[in-house]
Amino acid sequence: MLSRSAKHLYWLARYIERTENIARMIDVNLELILDYPVDHSLNWKPLIDTLDANKTYEKKYRKYNEDNVLNFLFEGTNNSSSIKNCLDMAKYNIETVRDDLPKSASISLNHLYDHIFRETFVKIHKRKRLTYITNIVDLTQEFFSSINDNLSRGYEFEFIRLGRFLERIDMISRIIDCLCITKSDKKTYDFSTMEWISLLSILSAQDAFRKVSKGEVDRAEVINFLLQDDSFPRSITRCLSILRLCLDSLPKNEKIILKIRTLRLRFDTANLEKFDDDKLHLFLDKCQKDLISIDNLVEKTFF
Amino acid sequence: MNVILSLDKYTNNNMKVKWSNYELAKSYDEYISSENKVRRHIKKIGNFFESLSLNDLKELDSSTESAIKSMGINFRVYSDTGSEERNWPLDFIPRIIKKSEWDIISKGLKQRTKALNLFIEDCYNEKKFLKKSSINEDLILKSKAYFPFCKNVKLPNSAWSHICGSDLIKDIDGVFHVLEDNLRIPSGVSYMLENRYVMKRVFPDLFSHYGVSRIDEYPLRLYETLAESSFRKTKSPEIVLLTPGIYNSAYYEHSYLAQQMGIDLVEGRDLIVKNGFVYKKTIEGLSKIDVIYRRVDDAFLDPDVGNPNSVLGVKGLIKCWKNKNVSIVNAPGCGIADDKAVYSYVPEMINFYLKEECILPNIKTYLMSDKKDRDYVFENIRKMVIKPVAEAGGYGIVIGKTLNNETQEETIKKVLGNTKNYVAQPLIDLSTTPTFSKNEISPRHLDLRPFILSGKDIYVTVGGLTRVALKKGSTVVNSSQGGGSKDTWIVEA
Repeated sequence: MLSRSAKHLYWLARYIERTENIARMIDVNLELILDYPVDHSLNWKPLIDTLDANKTYEKKYRKYNEDNVLNFLFEGTNNSSSIKNCLDMAKYNIETVRDDLPKSASISLNHLYDHIFRETFVKIHKRKRLTYITNIVDLTQEFFSSINDNLSRGYEFEFIRLGRFLERIDMISRIIDCLCITKSDKKTYDFSTMEWISLLSILSAQDAFRKVSKGEVDRAEVINFLLQDDSFPRSITRCLSILRLCLDSLPKNEKIILKIRTLRLRFDTANLEKFDDDKLHLFLDKCQKDLISIDNLVEKTFF
Repeated sequence: MNVILSLDKYTNNNMKVKWSNYELAKSYDEYISSENKVRRHIKKIGNFFESLSLNDLKELDSSTESAIKSMGINFRVYSDTGSEERNWPLDFIPRIIKKSEWDIISKGLKQRTKALNLFIEDCYNEKKFLKKSSINEDLILKSKAYFPFCKNVKLPNSAWSHICGSDLIKDIDGVFHVLEDNLRIPSGVSYMLENRYVMKRVFPDLFSHYGVSRIDEYPLRLYETLAESSFRKTKSPEIVLLTPGIYNSAYYEHSYLAQQMGIDLVEGRDLIVKNGFVYKKTIEGLSKIDVIYRRVDDAFLDPDVGNPNSVLGVKGLIKCWKNKNVSIVNAPGCGIADDKAVYSYVPEMINFYLKEECILPNIKTYLMSDKKDRDYVFENIRKMVIKPVAEAGGYGIVIGKTLNNETQEETIKKVLGNTKNYVAQPLIDLSTTPTFSKNEISPRHLDLRPFILSGKDIYVTVGGLTRVALKKGSTVVNSSQGGGSKDTWIVEA
């Protein structure tokens, strides 16, 4: 397989997965507004923190309010955290590998692209925004399920998976990390519970979580579940297992497998539920750095 | 003039097609004779169309269009304002040629291509033809398409233009003539294949009844031709198709052919020259290439030799080719024979190299660098077509009958400015075939581009790509300028 094709497939998957996760984060925030006490305005800054985009953001906006943040996350050009930008990149990456993919996948991406480029998000009526966002998530899922159902298992498939799950780990760790470091001053107990539930809901994990943990939502249990559960597809440990499967089918995989195993071992041995926010933040920060070095190694080995 | 087979004259959409209502243009019509009778080999299909109503035709038209759309058959058109992808235009009424007639054409094309390939090799080696014939050798040796680095190169089977696309037209007497030979990187063959694929879906019942010859072995024959060009003798040489990229107007075809042959579609940046060999960059590392089917122009193949800023090619490629470490198809330098002035010498080449009489007639061509020819052309300019010698795609062509006094002056000035750059031919009245347009069936002018593969053997496609001018009276068939296409049927008659 051509290195360039592999690279395009890998980045195609990363950008679509990123689109999905950004949409999920926005979705949850929009829902949280509805539950917030009137005297308390929702803090939109964590979204930008999560994406590590504060510098770019502050070049353009002063305040972290709803309209600014949403505008930034949807419309921004030259901003790798904007949904339009992610889709432009996805479109660029699919161009020369379109014929390697099932037609239905390329049609899904077209739909997604049309959906997002047809409208300016902040101009959409507030009542319709939630549906609009849910549609984005649905369409990205449609894209990947078409790949899963119609693409023969081979290098093409593996590079898509590799990109998708690396991106997913990256996004999950950012989302959790962000919740750990941002502490609102007036946080009450209820508030924090609400935030942990919202975390689960960003990752469509409430139902799965409820099956393993009943009763009051507990911080330690949520963290445990999202980081160490080996059966839920949006837990980091599970994603690492999938990456391992991918790499087993690719050539020249030794070095990358070693890195993934080391990372996995750190997750397996860490006593996460006992970590306080600071410690967890350091742990996830290290995880982020590992992901960057895995990405570099993928680039060096295959592309 | 010509409101033809005007079905919408009748308000009734159920009115059936009637060939007796078909109004002939002044050209040779391939369906209907000048006595307004359906030609003998057309009878069957002619009767079939008479069983259809306007409603049926509209339905066929829209199902053809939607098949093309859903299969994503498209091409890219460039204009001053940018470029856009368009759906491939296919008219569902087939172009029909008798097998007995085709067999002769096919023989003629083989003969022609063989001579042209021998000519190219000769020009870069002994120059026998240049010395012994009436041709002015500057026409070759001073041509932009002549590459000194090809001197003394000999190729397997003397194949330089492995893939040739010759444009044929039928004149007022119904005789096929060669209009030009495209020896560099002719395109269109994928549309020939796709046209058939679509037609089979639109007319599933017709094909089994009419004994239409199959055309689908082309990708296999192309693969064999590419493999035979390999310098390394092996059963499965490593072959790639080199494309300029997605913005090229023929990218659809590049991707289609690569897929059909199961070879990698690469861009210049995927290839690298190392220790005299060409490699492609794969996820497993570098992998050696034996054959490059290039769809990149000569000038961009290798920045060391051609355009130094080219990013479409591969640095050092030509040197690898000269050392016979990689085969390039079509070979660099084959453009010397793809010149409208050289064209006029093809019958002489056939005589010279093959000791045969030319089977397919040329169209009389006047060299504007020759004073006698030039005077004749200027005197009869309104009956002429003036062409730049080295342009493709119908660009730069001046049709004499469209000139007024002012534009005529301009044209003459332009030609006199660089006489070597122009040739002229008498305006040929291209043949017509019934075409469905604007709710009626009426004649439209067409040409034919068969493809000829040269390796150990010479293979000619069964028929070729029929291109049709969609505007009434127009003779411009290029898809980039509003032309359409038809499926070409070779039938036993």
